[in-house]
Amino acid sequence: MNLPREIHSFLRIFLVFVFLLVPSVFVLAEGVSPHHGGQLVLATTSDPKSFNAITAKETSTTLVTSYMFEGLTRVNGVTMQVEPHLAESWEVSEDGLTWTFHLRDDVQWFDGQPLTADDVVFTFQDLIFNDQIPNSARDIFTIDGKIFNVGKVDDHTVKFILPFKFAPFLWGMTQEILPRHVLKAAVEKGEFNFTWGIDTPPGKIIGTGPYRLVRYNPGERLVFERNPHYWKKSSEGDQLPYIEKIVYLIIQNVDVGLLKFLDGEVDSVSLRGIDYPLVKPREQEGNFTIYETGPDFGTNFITFNQNSGKNPKTEESFVSPYKLAWFTNVHFRQAVAYAIDKKKIIEIVMNGLGTPQSSSMSPSSGFFYNPDVHDYEYDLDKAREILKREGFVDHNQDGILEDLEGHPLEFNLYTNSGATDRVQMAGIIRHDLQAIGMKVNFLPIEFNNLVKKLTADFDWDAIIIGLTGGVEPHFGKNVWSSDGGLHMWFPNQAAPATEWEKRIDEIFSQGVQELDPVRRKGLYDEFQVIVSEQLPVIYTVLGNTVYAVRNKFGNLHPTSYGGIFHNLEEIYIKENYK
Amino acid sequence: MLKIILRRFLIAIPQLVGISLMTFALIQLTPGNFFDTLKLDPQISPQTIERYEKMYHLNEPWVNQYWAWLKNLFQGDLGYSFFYKVQVSSIIGSRLFNTFILALASFLLTWFVAIPLGIWAAVHRNRFIDRLIQLFSYIALSTPSFFLGMILLFVFSQIGGLPLGGMHSPDYEDLSWGGKVFDLLKHLLIPTLAISVGSIGALQRIMRGNMLEVLRHQYILAARAKGLPEHRVIYHHALRNAINPLITLLGYEFSGLLSGAALVEIICSWPGLGSLMLTAVRSKDLYLVMASMMMGGILFLIGNLIADILLVIADPRIRYD
Amino acid sequence: MTKVEKPLSQFQIALQGFRRNRMAMACFWILVFFYLGAIFADFLSPYSFEMEDRDYSYCPPTKIHIFDEHGKFVWPYVFAMNLTFDDFHRRVYHEDSEKKYPLKFLMKAEKYRFLGVIPSQHHLWGVDSPGRIYLLGGDSRGRDLFSRILHGARISLSIGLIGVIISFSLGLIIGGIAGFYGGKIDEILMRVCEMIMMVPGFYLLLALRAAVPDNFNSVQVYFSIILILSFIGWAGLARIIRGMCLSLRTRDYVLAAKAMGLSDFQIIIKHILPHTLSYSIIAIMLSIPGYILGESGLSLLGLGIVDPYASWGNMLSEAMSIVHIRFAPWILWPGFLILVTVMCFNIIGDALRDCLDPKWKGAKE
Repeated sequence: MNLPREIHSFLRIFLVFVFLLVPSVFVLAEGVSPHHGGQLVLATTSDPKSFNAITAKETSTTLVTSYMFEGLTRVNGVTMQVEPHLAESWEVSEDGLTWTFHLRDDVQWFDGQPLTADDVVFTFQDLIFNDQIPNSARDIFTIDGKIFNVGKVDDHTVKFILPFKFAPFLWGMTQEILPRHVLKAAVEKGEFNFTWGIDTPPGKIIGTGPYRLVRYNPGERLVFERNPHYWKKSSEGDQLPYIEKIVYLIIQNVDVGLLKFLDGEVDSVSLRGIDYPLVKPREQEGNFTIYETGPDFGTNFITFNQNSGKNPKTEESFVSPYKLAWFTNVHFRQAVAYAIDKKKIIEIVMNGLGTPQSSSMSPSSGFFYNPDVHDYEYDLDKAREILKREGFVDHNQDGILEDLEGHPLEFNLYTNSGATDRVQMAGIIRHDLQAIGMKVNFLPIEFNNLVKKLTADFDWDAIIIGLTGGVEPHFGKNVWSSDGGLHMWFPNQAAPATEWEKRIDEIFSQGVQELDPVRRKGLYDEFQVIVSEQLPVIYTVLGNTVYAVRNKFGNLHPTSYGGIFHNLEEIYIKENYK
Repeated sequence: MLKIILRRFLIAIPQLVGISLMTFALIQLTPGNFFDTLKLDPQISPQTIERYEKMYHLNEPWVNQYWAWLKNLFQGDLGYSFFYKVQVSSIIGSRLFNTFILALASFLLTWFVAIPLGIWAAVHRNRFIDRLIQLFSYIALSTPSFFLGMILLFVFSQIGGLPLGGMHSPDYEDLSWGGKVFDLLKHLLIPTLAISVGSIGALQRIMRGNMLEVLRHQYILAARAKGLPEHRVIYHHALRNAINPLITLLGYEFSGLLSGAALVEIICSWPGLGSLMLTAVRSKDLYLVMASMMMGGILFLIGNLIADILLVIADPRIRYD
Repeated sequence: MTKVEKPLSQFQIALQGFRRNRMAMACFWILVFFYLGAIFADFLSPYSFEMEDRDYSYCPPTKIHIFDEHGKFVWPYVFAMNLTFDDFHRRVYHEDSEKKYPLKFLMKAEKYRFLGVIPSQHHLWGVDSPGRIYLLGGDSRGRDLFSRILHGARISLSIGLIGVIISFSLGLIIGGIAGFYGGKIDEILMRVCEMIMMVPGFYLLLALRAAVPDNFNSVQVYFSIILILSFIGWAGLARIIRGMCLSLRTRDYVLAAKAMGLSDFQIIIKHILPHTLSYSIIAIMLSIPGYILGESGLSLLGLGIVDPYASWGNMLSEAMSIVHIRFAPWILWPGFLILVTVMCFNIIGDALRDCLDPKWKGAKE
C-alpha cells in the first residue's frame, strides 16, 4: 500500500514530465478541444500603484501591465528560453554588436493603429533612455555609462547598435513596447511620469497584449477583457486568447483569498506553506489540483549595513564607527550565518515546504545556479567560537558580548511588518543571535519606511528583506555591482570599497559581454562563491512554490519560473467544466 | 431649528480646523515625513518635486503649508496622494461610499435589533429570558470586532452559503438590478454582523435601562390604573420616552461605527475608508490622511445633525432657541 | 444588651449592594485572580516568555497522566513529544513512551527576578528539561502558551490600568475646571473635547501611532501606546466629570465654602472632585476595556507590542488565521482571556452603577 517516498516523488515528476511533453494527447484523449469564452477569477493583495509599464517597479503594477503590454521577445515559462514575440525574427552581426529585428506586421494597438518600428524606437530612445523618466530598465541597458543606438530601418525593421557586447540582449528585449502615437505628446510636455496613473479611464490605456483593462474599482477589482484583434493564433489556427474575461479581486487579507478559492469563487491561488494542510486534503472534493513546482525565486536574507558614508546634512556617520567595524568584519557575518536555523525556519514558517538557500541564485534558475558554494550549517557553538576569536567577550557577565573597546554587541534589526513569515523568521533569528550573545532589538516597520532606510536614509544596522530573483544573473546587476542602487549594504559607491566587491564588479562587466555560455557560467559561478564566502547578504530559506488551480483549464503548464498562467493566451476553459 | 443647525456648523468649523491642524502636526512635523525622503527617491524627478513644492508650498514654513492646504480645500482640492500618485479626491470617493454603506447597514441592524431586544428584556425583567439576553449582551460587547469577523469567516467557510469577504461577486456587473442588490446584501452580512453584535449588546443594555426607568414613573402607573391594556401602556406611553434619550447617542454612534468598521474592513477585505486610512497613515501620505480624518469628522457632524432633527420630531417639547 | 448601630455611609450601603450581586462578585474575583497571575507570572509559569523549543511548534496541550501503563494510580507525569509531518504536511505529535517526566513542584529552572527585584530560580511547577509541560499548548515557535499568557497579562492588564489613570487625571482636571468655572472656559474646553471625540477613535489611534519614531525599543513602544490610548480616552471622561461638577457647584456646601473664602483650587480639590468619586469609579471600570481592546487592535496590525515580548493582543494576532483556528485552536486562548477580562470590567462597572446610583445612565451620554 505504502510506496517508498522516493517512488512517490519519482512518479509525480514523471507524470508532470509526460504532461508537459504531450499535452495535446491529453486533450484528444479527453475529447475536449480548445474553445473561446469563460472567465478566469484571480486574487491579488494590493491595488496597482500605476498603469505605466515603464515607471512601474512594484509587482502590484507589473501584474496589471503584463497583460496589456508585450516585448519584442518573451521568455518561455516552461523552457526558460527566449522566443520570438512582437518580433518574428532577428539577425545578429558577426561581432555581436548589431541586432536587426523584424517586427510582425499583423500587430495592432488596442485602438486599431498598427505597431511599427517607430513605437520601438520611441520606447527606447524617448522613454527608457530619457533622463527625465525614472525607470529600472535603463540601469540594465547601461554599461559604463554607454547606451544603445536604436534606429528604424523601415516600418517593420529596427536596428540596435550596441556599444558593447551584451550577452543577455534577447532577454532584455522582453522590455514592453509602448505606443508612440498615444504617449508622444505627454513625453514632450514632460508629463510622462504622471501619465497612466491609476485614475486613468481604462479605455485610454493602449497596449498590444492579449487582454485589455476595462474596469478598475479601487480596492476591489480589476477586470480585463479579451483583445479580439490579438495577433496570435494557435497552431490549429484559432484566434487567441481563448478566455473571454479575467477578473482580479483585490483582497488584502490573504486568508480571505484562500477561503474564496476553497469556496470556488477564485480559480487559482498561490499557497503558503502553512495553508497546505488546509487545502491539500480537499483536492478531490474541491475539484482542484495542487502543483508543487520547486523552490521559489523570491529570497529572504539578512544583511548588515557596511556603509561608511556620512549624512550630507548632519555630517553624522550613517552607522556608528564601532558598529561599522563589526559589520565589515567578515567573521562577524560568518558567525551570524552559523546561527541561522534554516531547518527549523522551514518547518515553522513554511510548514516544511521550503528549501535552504546558500547560493545567490535560486535552484530553480537552472543553468546559472551554482550549488557548490560555501554552506553554513546551523551551529551555535561554532558561531560563539568565531566571535570569541574576533575578540567579542562577555566581560561583565550580563549575557551580552562586548567588543575589544567595550561596546556591547547590540544592534537594531528591521524587517517589514506586513510580511508575517518574515517577521516570524526574524523572531527565530533574533532568538538565536541572543543565544550567541548579541542583543538584537527587533523592529518591524512599514515596507515603505524600510525601503526608504535602504535607499535614502541608510541609518540602519541590520535588515531582513527579500528580493525577487530571476534566471538571468546580469539583471541582478543593480544589487551586486558596487555602484548599484540596490547594493544594499553599501549602495552607490564611487569605487568598490573592498577587493571582493571589485572582483564582483569585474565579473558583472565581463559576464555581460561574454557570449560563450560555458565561460559565462564560469564567471557567475565564481560570483556565487564569492558571495557565499563574504556574506554581504546572509541567505536563509526559499519557500517552495505551490499553486492550487481548479480543474477547469486546458493547456496548463505550471512552472516555478512562469507560475500558472504564463501562457495565458493559450489556456482555455474545458467545455465539460461546469 | 435652522438656528440650531447654523450654530452647530459655526462651532464645527473651528473644530474641523483643529482636527486638521492636529493631524497635520502628527504626520508632517514628526521625523520621517514623506517629503524629505521623497526628494531622495530616484523615481520622482526634481521637476515633480518642484511642482508639488510650489503647489502645496512645501518648501515654506509649516504654517504656510497648512494654509495652502486649507485654501486648496476650499477650492475643492483635497491634495495629492504621493503613495498612489493621483489626486486624493479620485481615490477617496468610492472608499467613503463603501464605508458608508457598511456603517449604515451596521447602524440599521444595531438599532432594529437592539431596541426591541431592550424592550423585551425590560418587560420581562429578571426572568430567565432577560438574564439570557443580558449574558449574551455582555459577551457580545466584550468581543473584539475583528476577532468576531475572523471567527465568522471561519464558521461560514465551514458551512458555506455566504460569500467570504469582499464587496461584490466577480460577475457583479452582469447581474440584474435586483441581483446586484441581493449580491451586495450577501456580502454585507458577515462584516455587518461582526461590527453590529457588540453595539447591539451595548445599545440593548441602555435601552433596557431607559425602559425600566420610564416604567417606574407615575404616568405609567396611572395609565395602568386606568385599565389600559399592557401593550398599549408599553408601546404607546413608555416607549417614546425611553427612546428619546437614545437619539442623542446617534451622532457618537455613527463616528464609533467608522472606528469599529476599520478593523473589520481589513479582516473581511471590504474596500472601505478604514483600509485606505491604514495604508495612508503607514506611508505617511499626508493629504490622504488629512482627507480621511476630515471625512470622519464630517460624518460625525452629519450624524449629530440628524440626531438633533430627529429629537425635535420625536419630542415636540424640545425647542431650540 | 442594646447596641447602637452606626449608620452606614452611602458608600458602605453601595458596597453591600455590590456584594449581593453574585455575578459582579464573581467577576471581581476573576479579575483579582488575573492580576495576581500577572504579578507573580515568573513564579507561576513553568517557563519564561522567551523559552522556545522549536521541536514543540504548535504542540497541542500536554496531557498529564495520572495512571501508568498498567493502569496504576501514580504521581502525575508527562511524556516527551515527537513531531512528524504527515502527507498533508500536518503536524502530528506522538507521545514518546520511553521518556517520562514526573510533574514537579517548586522546582529549579530558568532564572528570573521575582517581582523584578529578587533573583530566583524557583518555579511553582514544571517538569525537568528536556521534557515539556505546555498546559495550554505551544505557539508557532514552540513557546509555552500558558507562560506567555501569564507574562502577557502584565502588559495587557497594566495598559488598561496605567492608561486609565493618565486619562482620568487629565479628564478630572479639565472636566473639573470646565464644570466649576462654566461660561467661556467651559465652552472652549468642551469644544476641544468634542473635537477629539469627533475623529473616529481608530483613525486617531493610527495617526498617533504613526508619529512614534521607528527606532523605539519595546519599553518605549509600550509607554507610547499607553500615552496614545490615554490621549484618545480623556475627552469622554472629562465630559462626564464636567457634567457632574456643573451640578455640584451650585450646591449649598460649595457656596458655603466659597463664602468662607477658600480658593477655587481648594474648592475643586476638596469639595467637588471627591463627590464625583463614585461616578469616577464607574467610569474607570467602563473605560478600561477600551484600552485592552485598543492594544489588541494595534497588535493585529503589527503596531503593538513586538516579539519576543508577549501581550494578549500580539498573541491573538498570531492566531488570526484560518489555518491556525483550524489546526491549532488552542492559540486562541488569549482572545478568550481578552473577552473575559473586558466582560468582567463591564459587569463590575454596571453593577457599581446600579448600586451607587440607580438613576445614573452611564458613561456613554
